[in-house]
Amino acid sequence: MIDTFLSVLRISLKAIMANKMRAALTSLGIVIGVAAVITMLAVGSGTQQNMNDRFSRFGTNTLYLRQPWNLDESITSPKDITMDDVRAVRNVDGVVAAAPYISSDFSVKYGITSTSIDVLATDTDIFKVYDWQFESGRPFTEREVDTYAQVAVLGATVAETIFNDIDPLGKTVIFDDIPFTVIGIIKKSGQGGWGFDMDEGTLIPYTTGKVKMNTGWSSQDRRALDRVIIRVKDINTIENTKEAISNAVRNTHRIHPLGEDDFQLDDMASWIEEAKAASKTMSILLGIIGAVSLLVGGIGVMNIMLVSVTERTREIGIRMAIGATSADIRLQFLAEAVTLSCIGGIIGVLIGVGISLFIEAHATNIPAQLNIFSIFVSFGFSAATGIFFGYYPAYKASKLTPIDALRYE
Amino acid sequence: MSLIETTDLYKTYTIGDVSVHALQGVSVSIERGEFVAVMGPSGSGKSTFMNILGCLDKPTSGKYILDGIDVTATELSKLAGVRNRKIGFVFQGFNLISRTTALENVELPMVYNHTPAKERKEKALEALKAVGLEQRAYHMPNQLSGGQQQRVAIARSLVCDAPIIFADEPTGNLDTKMSIEVMELFTRLNKEMGKTIILITHEPDIAEYAGRLITFRDGKKVSDEVKK
Repeated sequence: MIDTFLSVLRISLKAIMANKMRAALTSLGIVIGVAAVITMLAVGSGTQQNMNDRFSRFGTNTLYLRQPWNLDESITSPKDITMDDVRAVRNVDGVVAAAPYISSDFSVKYGITSTSIDVLATDTDIFKVYDWQFESGRPFTEREVDTYAQVAVLGATVAETIFNDIDPLGKTVIFDDIPFTVIGIIKKSGQGGWGFDMDEGTLIPYTTGKVKMNTGWSSQDRRALDRVIIRVKDINTIENTKEAISNAVRNTHRIHPLGEDDFQLDDMASWIEEAKAASKTMSILLGIIGAVSLLVGGIGVMNIMLVSVTERTREIGIRMAIGATSADIRLQFLAEAVTLSCIGGIIGVLIGVGISLFIEAHATNIPAQLNIFSIFVSFGFSAATGIFFGYYPAYKASKLTPIDALRYE
Repeated sequence: MSLIETTDLYKTYTIGDVSVHALQGVSVSIERGEFVAVMGPSGSGKSTFMNILGCLDKPTSGKYILDGIDVTATELSKLAGVRNRKIGFVFQGFNLISRTTALENVELPMVYNHTPAKERKEKALEALKAVGLEQRAYHMPNQLSGGQQQRVAIARSLVCDAPIIFADEPTGNLDTKMSIEVMELFTRLNKEMGKTIILITHEPDIAEYAGRLITFRDGKKVSDEVKK
């Protein structure tokens, strides 16, 4: 059995080696197909991994309350999101914390250093929404919020940029001509996800921000907030909590029971689901592109095998005359097609793995994660391509009669 | 019982509306160990006759018994095994498989009857030795002369211990010296190994090597004479 297998394999390799250039060009289609499948699936799963990482830092137990980006026609003047909403949300069962959120870029000065940073004006609840660790110092207090205190909590990167080696605590920095005392530094957490990146940002009391620096914010209205960040107690009952929050906000906005919401409540979990679905769709799409090139490669294999059968008609006749059965001939040509596409498959796997590892190591903006599963699948596909597209030429060869084949010139 | 026994063989080819009667009632019997030459002009039906005797084709009607096997009652697909065990072929154009060593060419019939690799190599080397080419076992066909290639083909026909060798114009592509070499080899195989040899030729001096001469014309056997 093994003996037969080895001699069939040897005959196949010999036939393939007899036409090296042709074999190389034929298997190139398979090589490209397999390499494409592996690389694309690696990029696909890398993207997904990357997204998961961002989301896990972001927290799936947070909700965003904001004005809708696309207003329903029936709503002519949506009410601003204000502290009234924040207070209403805080009273909702299942809400751990709700923090006002207003952000903008400001230029910040310390001595002769000047840079632009992302300032988030909020209140003490922000420290309950996010589990930030302090490098040094402390968060601002409710009293400081109530008294428009000019205090700031800096992100780690910001502190490094502005102060270099100096200890920032107690130092005064100037935002938009207003001096602030640095009271705390938050530890570096890495990429912060969408919206606000704490490493690059600075926190100030929203009262101070709205009253004392009343320029530079997106809304000039003293009461208007960009959004409210809400942390819920239990992710499993998030739907109920969302509904309760919605009702509370409808109440403060005095919306008629039949009227449409003039606000939007974004649930991170559902964003994640959507984003995951999108990245899955992308993976499938990329996989299909790879599969199409495998298909094209397979047609190439079939084409060359048909040529090969015609060219070697006489050889088929000789083999039949000395005792090869139709099954022997079929097996030989099928083995040749499979060997051809498997060689393509192996080279494709090597190239695909190489490209994926290269991207993983060197291209920081394209995430890639080599998927072992995709190696097996794409190699399996290349072998299957050989069988599928090799079968017809092999069948054709096996149907020749020995005298016709021997007479063939 | 004769090794080969044909009774009233007919073969008719139909190409479109035209029917060609290639064989019209041929009955021949050949005994084990005979050396038979078959002659006749082209179109005489000798090639058709040989194809049927060689189990490469089946007659339209008639009966053919080969070493006790009723070939006419056997499916064409089963005849591969009969050819493998009973018949060795030697062709005019040598018909070796290119880019494959002499040894591998000789081994090939044994690949198809699933002889183990070791035994295959031993037998193939033995057969090459019998035709005097053991020194050329690892040469490719294109590195051998015509006579040498034909001897490799003869070695291939010996390797399965088939009782019959069919040689279709074996000297057609060879010069006189090589032709003599090859024909002497056939004579030796016939005398020393007891092989039954059936030879198609159109050269009378080649037919001279045989002990019996069958002549064909227009699809019929016109003469069948044993020498001396």
